[in-house]
Parts: sequence; C-alpha cells; structure tokens
Amino acid sequence: MHFQARGGFVAPGTEDFFLPTKLGFTSFESKAIYLAFFSVLLIGLFFYFSSRKAKVMPSKLQFAGESVYAFVRRDLGEDLIGHEFLRFVPFLFTLFTFVLVNNIFGIIPLIQFPTMSHVSFPYVLAIFSFVVFHYIGIRRQGLGKYLKGICFMPGVPVALYILLTPIELATYFVVRPVTLALRLFANMFAGHLLLLVFILGGDYLLHGGIVAKIASPFSFTFAIVMTFFELLVQVLQAYIFTLLTALYIAGALADEH
Amino acid sequence: MHGTLNLVGYGLSAIGPAVATGLIFAAYINGVARQPEARRVLQPIAFLGFALAEALAIIGMVLAFVLK
Amino acid sequence: MEMAKKPGAGGSGEESAAWSIVGYLISGLVIWGAIGYGLDSWWHTHFALPVGLILGAGASLYLIWLRYGRE
Repeated sequence: MHFQARGGFVAPGTEDFFLPTKLGFTSFESKAIYLAFFSVLLIGLFFYFSSRKAKVMPSKLQFAGESVYAFVRRDLGEDLIGHEFLRFVPFLFTLFTFVLVNNIFGIIPLIQFPTMSHVSFPYVLAIFSFVVFHYIGIRRQGLGKYLKGICFMPGVPVALYILLTPIELATYFVVRPVTLALRLFANMFAGHLLLLVFILGGDYLLHGGIVAKIASPFSFTFAIVMTFFELLVQVLQAYIFTLLTALYIAGALADEH
Repeated sequence: MHGTLNLVGYGLSAIGPAVATGLIFAAYINGVARQPEARRVLQPIAFLGFALAEALAIIGMVLAFVLK
Repeated sequence: MEMAKKPGAGGSGEESAAWSIVGYLISGLVIWGAIGYGLDSWWHTHFALPVGLILGAGASLYLIWLRYGRE
C-alpha cells in the first residue's frame, strides 16, 4: 500500500479498488461482494424490524422505514409512472435501497468502500432495469408495435428514417442502459478516488519537511469536507438511478410514442 | 506523468457549454417564476437551447477521444 | 406539482427531457461517428469521420426538435 511508499508520492489509482481479502475462498471474492451481501442483510433486517410491530402511532424506527418507503412510492412511483405505479414500487424500492446503502458504504468509517465503484455491480443493476422496461413495453404494446414505436417517429419524411432510426435504436438499446450504469459507477469511483487523494496526500505531507507538515492538516480537513460532499453525491446518485428507471418504465407504458 | 493533452483541452472546452447550460436554465427558471403560464412556450425553447449547448460539449468529448 | 398532472408522460416531463436529450445527442454522435470511422478505415480516407459527426449531431438535434421542440 501507499503508506510504505517513501521517496515520492504515489497517486492512488485503479489498483486501490482491488483490496486483498482475508478469507480466500474463491477467486471471485472481493470486498465489494462481501459488502453487497452485507447490505442485503442490513436492508432486510432494518425493514423487518421497522415494520414488525407496525402501529398507527409509529415508533422512531417505524417512522424511518416508512418515510423511505413513502418517498419511493410517492415521489418516484406515483408522480412519474402514473396510475399503474403500484406494480413497480417493490422493484423501485429494492433498487433504491440497495444502491443507497451500497453507496453510503463509501463513507461509513471502517467500511469506506462504495460497492458501486466496481463497474460490474452497476452493470447488473442496469441490465435488470433494461430487461424490466423493455419487457413492460413489449407486454403492453406487442413486440412489433413496440419496436415500430421506437424506430419510426410519426411526422417525418421517409428518407430521414435512414438517419434517425439508428439513433433511436442506439438510444433505447445501448446508450440508456450503459449511461445508467456508467453514471453511477463513475460517480462512486471518482468520489472514492478523490477521498483517497486527500487522505493519502495528507499522510504523505505529514511525513515531509516542516512546510509540508503545516500543509498536512488542510489536506485532512478538506478530506473531511469532501466526505460530507460525497454523502450528498451518493444519495443523489441512488435517487437518479431509481428516477431514470422509473422514467424508462413510464416511457414504455405510455402508448403514444 | 503520461497521458494525452486532448482530455485537458476537452476539460477547458467543456467550460463553455457548462456556462451556457447554466444561463439557459437560469433564464428559464426566471421566466417561469415571473409568469408561470408562459411555461408551455418557454419549455421547448429552453430544451432546444440546452440541446444545442450540450451538443457542443458532446462533440468535444468525441473529438477528444478520436483526434490523434 | 406539474409533474403529477401528467403521469406516465415519460418524454414530456422536464426531468425526463433533460436526460433523454443528452442520451440522444450521445447516441447520434457515437453511431454516425462510428459509421464514419468505419468508412474511413475501409476507404483509407480522412473525411468520413467529420462528416459522420456533423451528420449525427444534426440528426440528433432534429430528433430532439421533433420530440421536445414542437408543441
């Protein structure tokens, strides 16, 4: 690790995302995978206990659980999808809580690793979202009509379809899922790297000369400030991921296009 | 240090569209706040302006990766 | 809330519009840029890539105008 690297600052890079694990069961294991399982356990326990003894006058725990649920149901389900939203609330809720908890792992002391900074996790979530919204569109409109709705905008001269159809197809089948995954991944990766730069930089300066020693606390202070900024980014990215999934589902449900 | 200066250039060139997007949405929000019924007129204009500004940013991104 | 009045719009709401516009621009430039790049390496020329990029940018702006510009 970088703490041993003397004689020059080594900037953190991709290799810092592949931490050695202690157990050594399989070649698949990584900190990210353990964190993903841990987050599922955490979310399950939290919502089990918060809804176990549900009362009309909610306890604090029940209130916390219910407000997360109500947020997803009202702001992401009802407002965006419309009258059929109830079918999609479990999916959106699972997606939101999973992404949120895994993102916030990035700043929890002793864990401090966002699971979504391994690109395979956002890709799998985006594949889920991709399959769901195309399946809904095909179920609703039939395969031919759905594809026709995507490929051919009404009210365009026929010759222009050569120009426009590839763009529509690429948007719906490639760009949407890929940007969905990459937006989440890039934010988490960059955020973790940013914190590493300031913390490792502060540590490096602490072992330097007298001027460097004076500069070191500023680096650590900025790392703490950026940690709170990261909290904002992490919550926002979880929200945006779920929001876009809800918007894509709403688009597949709408008959008009 | 190694890498390509293209990305530094792209970073600089992305300032323009960023400022433009900010100005467009600032004007849109101002307009809608002053006169909420103008929303239907302003919304397409705002989004077309946003698309034009954003197109420059994305052209810049593509060129940053393509040009050698 | 304006969004609540048009549920299931998925294309005319403001949040959705901003995201989709960026998506259309990216895919227009990438698809036609890739076609231009392919033609360039096939013909050993240098003009098809810029032509493809301009065509893609124009086509995606036209598509955005069709979807969001006309009321």
